Amino acid sequence: MILVAKIVMGMAGVGLAGAGVLCSEGLVCVKVIEKRPQGHHLSVIAPAIVAPIAVHLAPQRDLAQAAREIGPYLPVIRAALIGLRDTGDAAFVEVREPNERVRVSKSGGSVVVDVDDAGEMVRVSAPIRAILSTVDELSAATPNRF
Amino acid sequence: MLGLLAAGMMALVTPTMAGPAEKYLHVNVEDPAKGQKVNVNVTLAMAQKILPAINNHDLHDGKISLHNAGTNGVDVRALLDAVRSAPDNEFLTIRDKDSDVRVVKANGNVIVHVIDKQNKDQRVEVTIPLKIVDALLATAKNDELDLAAALRALSDAGDILLVTVEGSSQKVRVWVDSRNTQE
Repeated sequence: MILVAKIVMGMAGVGLAGAGVLCSEGLVCVKVIEKRPQGHHLSVIAPAIVAPIAVHLAPQRDLAQAAREIGPYLPVIRAALIGLRDTGDAAFVEVREPNERVRVSKSGGSVVVDVDDAGEMVRVSAPIRAILSTVDELSAATPNRF
Repeated sequence: MLGLLAAGMMALVTPTMAGPAEKYLHVNVEDPAKGQKVNVNVTLAMAQKILPAINNHDLHDGKISLHNAGTNGVDVRALLDAVRSAPDNEFLTIRDKDSDVRVVKANGNVIVHVIDKQNKDQRVEVTIPLKIVDALLATAKNDELDLAAALRALSDAGDILLVTVEGSSQKVRVWVDSRNTQE
C-alpha cells in the first residue's frame, strides 16, 4: 500500500514538474469572439515554451527562408523586446476609428494586442520572455548571424 | 538603540523612495472629422535601447549622418552651434505668399513656428531644448548628429511639448512626460 502511494506521489510529482516546465515561459492566449448571432467564441491557451522549441526543432531548410527575411530586423526586434521587458505596464499604441479599435499594450510581462471591430473582437496575449526566446532561436538559425 | 531605530526607519522609508520616474514620449494624432485617433506612448529608455540597434542608411549606432540629408550645402552642425551660443533673439523671419516661418531662441529653447498658407493655414510649432542641441553636437563627428545622446538628454529634461501641428482637420502633438497614458 505504501509502495502504491509512493508511485502515485512520484507520478504526481513528475506531472507537476512537467506542468511547471511547460508553463515556465508563460502562456499564449488567443480569444476570438464573433459579433453575430450564433457567432463563434474561440479561446486557445497554449504553453509559450512551445514556440521557441518548435523553432529549435524545425528543419533548417524550412527555417532558412524565414530567417533570411527576418534576419536584418532581428537586432531591432530583440532590442525592442528587451526594452519592452524592462519597462512598466502601459498601452503603447492605440488606434481608434469609428468602427475599429486597436490597442497594443504590455500587461504583467506579456504583450497584449486587442482588436475590436464591427465583426469580431480579438485578443492575443504572449509573454515577452517567450517571444525573446523564439527570436533568439530564429537568430541562431540565421545563416549570417546578426 | 538609536542606530537600530534609525535602521528600522530607513527600512520603512526605502521602499517608498522610488527612483526617477520613467519618461514617456507621447504622440497624439487626432482627426475629429473622420473620428480617428492615434496614441503612441514609448518610454525613452526603450527608445534608447532600440536606436543603437538600427543600422540603416544614414543611421548608425544612434548617430545620424548628415552628408546625404539634402541640406543643400548648409552646415547644420555649425548652424545649431551658432544658435546655441547666441543670446535670446528672433533669428529668422520669412513671410511670403505660401508660408510664414519664424525661428526664435527663448528661455533655453529653440522654437520654430511655421504657418503653411497653402495648406489651409496649417500651423507647426517645434520646440527643441538647447540641452538637446548640446547633446546632438557633443560627441558626434562633424557630419553627424548624436540622436542617442539627444534621447538621453530628453530623459533628463523636464516635461516638454516638442511638436504641435494644427491643420484644418488634423491635430498632432508630440511631448515628453512621466505619465504612461495620455488621459
